[in-house]
Amino acid sequence: MNPLRSNSAFLRSLTRTLATLPAYQAAAALADAPPAFTEVGVRYSHYSEDDIDASSVIFGAPSRYDIDITQLWIEAPVGASWSVALDVQNDYQTGASPWFVGTDQNGEPGVIMSGASIQDNRVEVGVATRYFWADGNAGLNVSRSDEDDYEALSMAFDASWNTAGNTRTWTTSVSNSRDKVNPTQGVIPVFVTDEELDTQSGYFGVSQILSRTAIVRVGLNYTYSDGYLSDPYKLNDQRPQSHERIALSTGYRHFLIDANASVQFDYRYYADSWGVDSHTVELGWAQHFERTTLTPYFRYYSQREADFFEVVADLTEPHFADDYRLSSYGAMTLGARWAINLGDWTFELEGERYWSDANWGLYDGNSAPALVDFWRGTMAIIWRFD
Amino acid sequence: MGGPATLVIAPPEGRGTTAASLVGAVESRLATLERRYSRYLADSLVSTINRAAGGGAFTRLDPESAALLEIADQLWRSSGGLFDITSGVLRKAWRFDAAKTPVDLSQLETLQKKVGWDKVERTSEGVYLPVKGMEIDLGGLVKEYAADCAVRLLRDEGVTSGLIELAGDVATIGCQPSGKPWQVAIRAPQGSDPLGGIALSNAAAATSGNYARTLRFEGRTYGHLLNPLTGWPVEGPTSVTAIGENCLSAGAVSTIACLQSPEAAMVWLSEAGLPWLMIDHNAGYSGPLATELDLSAL
Repeated sequence: MNPLRSNSAFLRSLTRTLATLPAYQAAAALADAPPAFTEVGVRYSHYSEDDIDASSVIFGAPSRYDIDITQLWIEAPVGASWSVALDVQNDYQTGASPWFVGTDQNGEPGVIMSGASIQDNRVEVGVATRYFWADGNAGLNVSRSDEDDYEALSMAFDASWNTAGNTRTWTTSVSNSRDKVNPTQGVIPVFVTDEELDTQSGYFGVSQILSRTAIVRVGLNYTYSDGYLSDPYKLNDQRPQSHERIALSTGYRHFLIDANASVQFDYRYYADSWGVDSHTVELGWAQHFERTTLTPYFRYYSQREADFFEVVADLTEPHFADDYRLSSYGAMTLGARWAINLGDWTFELEGERYWSDANWGLYDGNSAPALVDFWRGTMAIIWRFD
Repeated sequence: MGGPATLVIAPPEGRGTTAASLVGAVESRLATLERRYSRYLADSLVSTINRAAGGGAFTRLDPESAALLEIADQLWRSSGGLFDITSGVLRKAWRFDAAKTPVDLSQLETLQKKVGWDKVERTSEGVYLPVKGMEIDLGGLVKEYAADCAVRLLRDEGVTSGLIELAGDVATIGCQPSGKPWQVAIRAPQGSDPLGGIALSNAAAATSGNYARTLRFEGRTYGHLLNPLTGWPVEGPTSVTAIGENCLSAGAVSTIACLQSPEAAMVWLSEAGLPWLMIDHNAGYSGPLATELDLSAL
């Protein structure tokens, strides 16, 4: 970030008034100006699932998924009012996942693993352009994602604009994605070929500066998908052909002057047409030092199971699934982000640990044997130059 | 505006402009601003507004002067009333330029009735000071605004390397012709030796100080900045320098800092988020710029 482009409420408000004077009109769009610098960044994440508890496995090795994610991006200003960005991401997934849930000799549910059969590489390329004016900006993003068994083409438009003397920012976005599913045949048999999925999504939100030390935001997201929504790599997975989702997200940030820190509180409510609803609460503490910021955070998540979820799928129903991700459970995440700014360079590190358990949730439901625990680590290097 | 000025420019190539013509254009722009906003010139807009105080008539404003008063309003609100362009009349009680009887507290109560930005009426008709004897003084804004106007004029003329300094406030265009950032010295309040230099490019540095004019009263030394809420001089930082994208923003941040106690100033400066340097009355200095002061670069 340009150190002279402070985001304080005072300077944002002053800048807005200055923009009415010709002397500052070159800088009229300070509140919403294209980046003054070209930014190049690389980010690498590693996601690693713990082995599944051996007592939950009926057949197969207990090891699960690992994913390596590498992202490269460049964003550059073009003229006085535009920016363009290119974003390339590669995900390399390897490992095994639960194929289906059956019962052992004692009638207890257990997981049959896919074996280390999955090895997949996904490449996503996105291009974006953004236009800035004095009170807002708008962007168009087109991206294409390719992997062996899945292609997706998506387009998104978003806009945000400031009102009330720059103290209130409205944001809206719409997106559309067309996906093609063509699963690969591996060690496990797959019974699906050439399916399609269309998804439309819309968001509307507002953030409001309440005082020199407090900001609040609220937003509503609606997503509708139509097409093939089942998981082709699970044996007993037949989901409805459409999926409506709605999510209400809220956030509050409070800056504590004496501590040079900010308290961050976020809450999200989600509900969908499959009967799933969930609550997510996140608490963070961003401690600022001279050049660095350390942000430990804690997240709690609780989900109600889908109407058609059973621990062992009921194949007599029109829709069925034994995917643990559709079960009732609770999850906790403990993590920390650290960022240091050294002139033109910024380095970021983040690590988090995620645990899930059927007993931690707010909702009733039988425990899925394949609930996952994982580690995730991320590092990023960002370089900005004229 | 009554202070020394320095202008350093590399004339752009191929435009037919010379350093002399650019200096002339800047001088003309600064003179125009002085004629409009000086409280010492009888026919300035500021003097016209002040003369009309208590008379019942509004003085019409053009977009520029309306915007400057709007900025004054924002600074008044953001500073909790400490930055007040009507506070100048308090100088009649605190005479920093008088050899004898510099302080006349008997006037203070009467003068304070003429102070208060919240009393000033602004409508589509213009501005009106409702109390006879009330005055506004845009000196706390116009010097920085003038530096920014000069920068804009020079940029419009194609200048890509330049520096303007108006009585201690500095605005820069690009880097020096050598490609190195401009080096600006920060002077120690108690002496003429610089504390160090800071590097600027496409940025401005504004310094507000409470040390240039002082007076002794009842055994204590007071600086010339007055608190409009109490009528008494402020006991704040000796000087504050802030760096911003433009001189007016940097000046607003440093001026409001100097109107507060050193502790409150630190909070204000941290919240404002621009790089700053604060010098206290013991000549100690603090702030993000303190670590960047570079004596060798001067």
